[in-house]
Amino acid sequence: MPSKSDHELVPVHEIMSDKDVKELFKTFNITIDNLPKIFESDVQAKKLEAKPGQVLKIYRREGKREYPYYRAVIDG
Amino acid sequence: MAKQTQNRYLVDYGEPVGIIAAQSVGEPGTQMILRSFHLAGIESTVATSGLPRIIELVDAKKKPTTPITYIYLESGVNKNFEKATELLKKINEVRMNHIAKRVLENFSKGKIKVVLDKQELDSEGLTQKYVASKIEKELDLEAKIEDNGIVVNMHTRNLKEIRAATISLMKMLVSGVDGAGKGTIRRDDATKEFYLVSAGSNIEGIMAVDGVDKTRTTTNDVFAVYRLFGIEAASKALAIELKKTLKEQKISVDDRHLNLLADAMTASGTIKGVGRHGLSGEKKSVFARAAYEETLKHLIHAAAFGEVDRMKGVTENILIGKQIPIGTGSVKLAVKKEDMAKIKPKSDK
Repeated sequence: MPSKSDHELVPVHEIMSDKDVKELFKTFNITIDNLPKIFESDVQAKKLEAKPGQVLKIYRREGKREYPYYRAVIDG
Repeated sequence: MAKQTQNRYLVDYGEPVGIIAAQSVGEPGTQMILRSFHLAGIESTVATSGLPRIIELVDAKKKPTTPITYIYLESGVNKNFEKATELLKKINEVRMNHIAKRVLENFSKGKIKVVLDKQELDSEGLTQKYVASKIEKELDLEAKIEDNGIVVNMHTRNLKEIRAATISLMKMLVSGVDGAGKGTIRRDDATKEFYLVSAGSNIEGIMAVDGVDKTRTTTNDVFAVYRLFGIEAASKALAIELKKTLKEQKISVDDRHLNLLADAMTASGTIKGVGRHGLSGEKKSVFARAAYEETLKHLIHAAAFGEVDRMKGVTENILIGKQIPIGTGSVKLAVKKEDMAKIKPKSDK
């Protein structure tokens, strides 16, 4: 996991591997349509060169608590 | 034991977290209207607060009524008052009409004379010479310092041209960052560091200035955050702004309700308001939309285009008086076909 981002407000984003995505869908019993979205043109998605259909894992931090958040990359 | 305690606080399956969040924000919100008051003081940048600010955030207004940028300084600068003042001068937006005391247009000679305010000049750390050179560079006009002012020679007697030049001269940016507004220095009591608060929202321009901490500088304009840092940062900024506004009013709402609201508003990839043009207006169900606002519009549109309502949501099921898919209502009993065959009907004797 990359440790630092360029701004306090920006959590670390990471492209998930296909295997991890499959596992994620299985554990939550969802499809890609159920995930929150992020545009391909989004600043952070652009930085990772993410393509539509991929899933980004976001390492959110709330005080001392850390938890993952997921966003599906979409066109636009 | 710790695990058990932790699990008690987890949300159960089917719990209507959205409705709970809405009620948790809505109830204290009713007190806010009555309690709006103003504090007298020397604060130069008075931000919109209370209910108007909450509405602004929740409706996802493109520009906040009072944009404010919190400029944090790099470690070499942030403990030094002189250096912070210097940086503030670099950022402070100064236009010609701020520093001009008098403007005289001489149409017969084709000259414009600008007399500058000495006090204003000194406070911004500018000189006449600098202003004159700035005029020549920015507007491509001939500017000379004569007795007590700057004289711009237009080499024309065309009335329109001279007037147009005067207007653009008055609007000219003399120093600072375009759109940064006027700023003040403040000190964080906890960390003893100086930071700047400016009444503008050109955060892109401000971040380009040397000495500004690019990792901490933020603004209350969530759309500016979205443009610059992406949707995740916007979601966080939105939650922070909501929490801050409620805290100012001494209203305590659990963070998780506000985080949920911010996440719902940013789930589509951009920031969407919650009203008619946002989340509520984009529900899949026709009945849910019709039950909210513009009932006829939605029903007629649905009829004309043959829309289908799957009746999966809460609103539409309340409407027809069916059990709502919340909590225990969200599970259904199903029997496998092969098991069905095993069930024998009771013979009534």
